[in-house]
Amino acid sequence: MDTTKFILVVEDDPILKNLLGHTFAGKYQTLYAADGTEALALYDKFKPALILLDLTLPGAVDGFSVLETVRKRDDEGKTVPVVVVSNLGEQAAKDRVMQLGANSYMVKAEVDIDEIVAKIGEYLPA
Amino acid sequence: MRLRTVIALLILPSLAALLGFVGVIMYQAWGSLGGIARALFTLDFDVLASYGPFFIYVLGFCALNILVFLLLYLLLNRLITKPIRAITSAMEEFAKTQQLSELPEFSRDATEVKSFAEAFVTFAASFQEVHSHDQEISRVKSDFISTAAHQLRTPLTGIRWALEALEKEPLDENQKALVESAVSKSRDLVAIVGTLLDISSIESGKHKYVFTTVDLPKLVSEVAGDFTVQAAERKVLLTIDTPQEALPPVRADKEQIKWVLNNLVENGIRYTPAGGSVRITFASLPERVQVLVSDTGIGITQKDRNNIFERFYRAENAIAKENAGNGLGLYIARTVATDHGGDLNFAPNQTGPGTTFTLSLPLAR
Repeated sequence: MDTTKFILVVEDDPILKNLLGHTFAGKYQTLYAADGTEALALYDKFKPALILLDLTLPGAVDGFSVLETVRKRDDEGKTVPVVVVSNLGEQAAKDRVMQLGANSYMVKAEVDIDEIVAKIGEYLPA
Repeated sequence: MRLRTVIALLILPSLAALLGFVGVIMYQAWGSLGGIARALFTLDFDVLASYGPFFIYVLGFCALNILVFLLLYLLLNRLITKPIRAITSAMEEFAKTQQLSELPEFSRDATEVKSFAEAFVTFAASFQEVHSHDQEISRVKSDFISTAAHQLRTPLTGIRWALEALEKEPLDENQKALVESAVSKSRDLVAIVGTLLDISSIESGKHKYVFTTVDLPKLVSEVAGDFTVQAAERKVLLTIDTPQEALPPVRADKEQIKWVLNNLVENGIRYTPAGGSVRITFASLPERVQVLVSDTGIGITQKDRNNIFERFYRAENAIAKENAGNGLGLYIARTVATDHGGDLNFAPNQTGPGTTFTLSLPLAR
């Protein structure tokens, strides 16, 4: 790998964020956002190669809005891989997220971090 | 106007006219009756002709009666039959849809019919009120369960991921065993939370089924494939009798039915001792296709028989020592089956031990 890829992790729970970071260390350069506004600002500044997106975020901007806004951009935002990792399990949430242009949907409580790493690997071939 | 009044108004004059006529005729034709009878008998038309007026009276009398009774019939139809039909169909529709359709104005009809209609409308309104109150309660309960379950998921995720990371650290045998126990239990918790969410979404009717055409034998072989390892481990023989003739496809939500089949096969394996077998067969009925899952297991006791489809009920004699199931599987499975317009039933095996569960699904049109 010439350049380690940047990934943006949008997750408000600090413990979950740390656990993810612990696993990603060494594999990817990780940016962290704890809410939607921060997520959009970070995307704008660093244009990460992939977004790991939680849906339930504090504040006015939730995960759905982040996804929608990023997809509305005229640059790579239109196609940047977005892996939604959320504990909202309803089919309705999944449908809406896929409709908004996400690439993948995983339910946090039902997957191991290794599975998330593998999924990211699918979108970021080394 | 009351019905009795109407009937009285029609019948009494009619009766009076009848008696009047009979009286007149008897008076006039008394002597001639014998002659008329003889003439009729011998078909003596000359004699009959002379009794012309008599026959005209009789004809007129009959015509009047027919008229009166026709009027009576039409009136009864208008006053009783039609309104009652209208009320009956409104009732039937209410029974089906809990919606009260517009009833026509009964102001010019019989008072009794009008009060009947009004009583029904009042009843329907009070029923709707109670019904919507019940639905509200049920909705509150479902929302509570689903909110609570969602809340549980975040800490569960934390525990799961932390344990996953811990497993990767250098651990001695003892520590490994401890971590494994924690991992296993945390997975169980996640499964229960998932089931709670399923059940609350199905109960609240929010669950959207995606119906497609499904080839059952194919789906069943997928499911069985997932269980070959588990069956082998428990030394239970798992077989499928694929039908010789291709079965017609059914209308089903593939994911949901797969879940139900998973449930049935897993139960079959779980409740069958080593050396036993679980056999899957198919049956084709006029409107349905059935999947039968037969085990040679410990069977379902009389007491359990009435309860296994209830929520949270677990049979007392589950063989496996590990925490087998959480008692919601069959409840959801049956609800899913009936939501499909099908059914899920079971019966003890006729020959040999064990039980057979039968899942029926309607054909795809």
